[in-house]
Amino acid sequence: MGLGPMISTLMRSKTGPLLVALQIAVTLAIVINALFIVVQRIEKMNRDPGIDVDNVIVTYVRGFGEDFDVVSSITNDLDLIRSIPGVVATTVSNQIPLSGSGSGTRLRTVPDETADAVNTTRYRWDENGLDALGVQLSRGRNFTPQEIDVVMPTIDPATPASVLVTQALANDLFGEEDALGKTVYWSDMSQSTIVGIIDHMHGSWVNWNKFNNSVIQPGMQADTTNKYVTRAEPGMRDALIPLIEKQLGESNRRRVVKSVRSLQDIAARSYRRDFAMVTILSVVMTLLIGLTALVIVGLSSFHVTQRKKQIGTRRALGARRIDIIKQFMFENWLITTAGAVLGVVLTVGVAYWLEVSFSLTRLDWRYLPAGIVTLWVLSSLAVVEPARRAASVSPAVATRSI
Amino acid sequence: MFKYNLKLALKSMRRNPIMTSLMVAAIAVGIGLSMTTLTIYYLMSSNPIPEKSDVLFAVTMDSWDPLRPFDEDRPERAPHQVTYHDAERLLALSQGKRQVAMFESSLIIEPDNEDELPFEAGARVANGDFFPMFNVPFTYGSGWDRSADAAAEPVVVLTKALNERLYGGVDSVGQRLTMNGVVFQVVGVIDTWEPTPRFYDPINSAFQEVNDMFIPFSLTRGMEMPSNGSDWGWKSEEINSFTDWLNSESVWVQYFVELDDPRDADEYVAHLDAYVSEQKRLGRFQRPLNNNIYNVMEWMDYHEVVARDTKVLVGLSFMFLTVCLLSTIALLLTKFVGKKNEISLRRALGASRGVIFKQQIVEVAVIGFTGGLIGLLLALVGLQGIEVLYESPPGLARLDWVMTITAIAIAIASGVLAGLYPAWRVCQIPPAAQLKTQ
Repeated sequence: MGLGPMISTLMRSKTGPLLVALQIAVTLAIVINALFIVVQRIEKMNRDPGIDVDNVIVTYVRGFGEDFDVVSSITNDLDLIRSIPGVVATTVSNQIPLSGSGSGTRLRTVPDETADAVNTTRYRWDENGLDALGVQLSRGRNFTPQEIDVVMPTIDPATPASVLVTQALANDLFGEEDALGKTVYWSDMSQSTIVGIIDHMHGSWVNWNKFNNSVIQPGMQADTTNKYVTRAEPGMRDALIPLIEKQLGESNRRRVVKSVRSLQDIAARSYRRDFAMVTILSVVMTLLIGLTALVIVGLSSFHVTQRKKQIGTRRALGARRIDIIKQFMFENWLITTAGAVLGVVLTVGVAYWLEVSFSLTRLDWRYLPAGIVTLWVLSSLAVVEPARRAASVSPAVATRSI
Repeated sequence: MFKYNLKLALKSMRRNPIMTSLMVAAIAVGIGLSMTTLTIYYLMSSNPIPEKSDVLFAVTMDSWDPLRPFDEDRPERAPHQVTYHDAERLLALSQGKRQVAMFESSLIIEPDNEDELPFEAGARVANGDFFPMFNVPFTYGSGWDRSADAAAEPVVVLTKALNERLYGGVDSVGQRLTMNGVVFQVVGVIDTWEPTPRFYDPINSAFQEVNDMFIPFSLTRGMEMPSNGSDWGWKSEEINSFTDWLNSESVWVQYFVELDDPRDADEYVAHLDAYVSEQKRLGRFQRPLNNNIYNVMEWMDYHEVVARDTKVLVGLSFMFLTVCLLSTIALLLTKFVGKKNEISLRRALGASRGVIFKQQIVEVAVIGFTGGLIGLLLALVGLQGIEVLYESPPGLARLDWVMTITAIAIAIASGVLAGLYPAWRVCQIPPAAQLKTQ
């Protein structure tokens, strides 16, 4: 059978097929753009943090009252946590990676205020910090206990002689050159030497473009609210959280244990908008594909019923079952392809709108062919059953009056 | 006649139950999804204090680094917060009708009962103008007056929730409360107050609950209250005491002014310019004059309170609704084709085109209405889901009557819009012609 009769069938009632093609086009535009956003957000959430997130516990405490001695309180707390079986290492840190709150600074390679500076997150912890976070030092050395000074919030700390930097920060500062042993300058033009390089570690703000830049100063931060980072042996985390909360609470009544949480929880909270977007868009895509598929199935079935007589006549005139199946499949393919062509235009339009209005990343063009192929497969699957039913129409139908 | 049409519509709907449910489902999910996202958008973009949003202004002054702007991507912007000492001086100058300097902090509450553990509670440190400026409703007592600010009296205003926790919800005005070692006197308890968005502090978070309590800004110095909110600094300064910190160039205090009339804005900016020019003579504020005030809705825009993701979702969900409508039209067309015989017969028996048309429209309106109602229920479920996903305070994502009416109107309008063309097509069927061919 040639194309002629099929196309002329379609043209006879063109509004229906046109509507389906339009629906397919809009579906394609939504699904491709939504899928692209979903994939990007999933990639973002799955970035390697360079930290043993699964086993880290974060404790927030706050002392109060006139006679509260913050330094001895921190020392006692850390000793107590360390004595609990199942604890690998613990430290006090000025801020918590992946938490969404913390402090940043600017570093330079020359002592010149007007020179370009590199933005970075700034951490302060003691010689146990790397172990407490499960962060790997790729080169150089860790801090020594002699380098750890107490840092109070209202007293300007002396600039430390040694710092650690992440490889990403080292690259931003020194490019191809080896950063180990090099000098960096702080905003007040005091200087520190890079003694160790961390291969990779995420900073505090998951949405920041300098997320991989961190500089670590040796020190024991003694603030109003103090943050302890503790690493548990694998599998011990959930048992340790209530234990730490209870033992710290009982050990000192002049200090409030604000919260003891897993770093996994804290990180999930920082990524909750991305997670929400992934969930919502996944629901949208599922509903949309389901609806469009159902409509295609529904309409094809209806057409089969409507055209029983026509099918019967063709069968009576010698068309084989396979010809009937081919006819329905081809009709459907024509509509789908028309929809896909229009859909590509719409998809690009929507992608452009998202990019220009909301500064989303430009759509990866490879999603387009992938989307069209998927569309062909899905819409063919949707029409298989109705087409099979059409093929089973008996040639004798043609001879009946109604 | 309407009843008859309704009867015919229901009969026709029952004849193709699968197709009818598909149409209802299409409209329902379309309405459900678009109403969910539209409600979120509506809540995020709504005016939290419509009665005076045009006379309340956030104040910004450019005290930043002479070498580079506060925001390199938007160099025209001054820092969005002010330094502590500038806030103190502006309060003293008192050039607006009312003004408030404020920041977020927290205090340790030490209950009188020795058995109860001390606990931390969030505090908004602000001067007394906060309450009348932002129309804060009170259950018991009131805010404090300017003399309490001037004398740095340890007074506190509690939220309903904290008053519930501490005093079981009774009138606690006059009670004494020890916090951070200082004995405070309770002067007021506010009623439920949930401005959405939290316009007075979009910097720390535009969508969260009000802090547990309010204490005077003038206590900052004596009690060495640290800020829990964001602070930004540019200058390397020797900080060796809390006073040094208060005198530093770090910006961490939010400043709002209330004017009598929106037209006084220029005059107020002129005041700011005069203040800054004076400071320039002391060697501060070395950037070009760049002082601005923003009314509430401008301030919401400034901080992009409506998240981009939300706008994207609204756009995509309305495209989704389009797909649902296209489905409905296609399904209706097909269905009406199947009714050719019936229509033909009715036309042959004397039914006019108008009557047929009306009957078809009633049928699609019923489908639209049913779909809309189910869609509303879906939107309620969707909003619950959104609250969980975004961990927003319970009750924030709610469907008010405006959105409910909008949803039903959109549903019926979509149903009728989808039905118009198919119904018109059906009316074109000539009487009896259809019968002949059979």
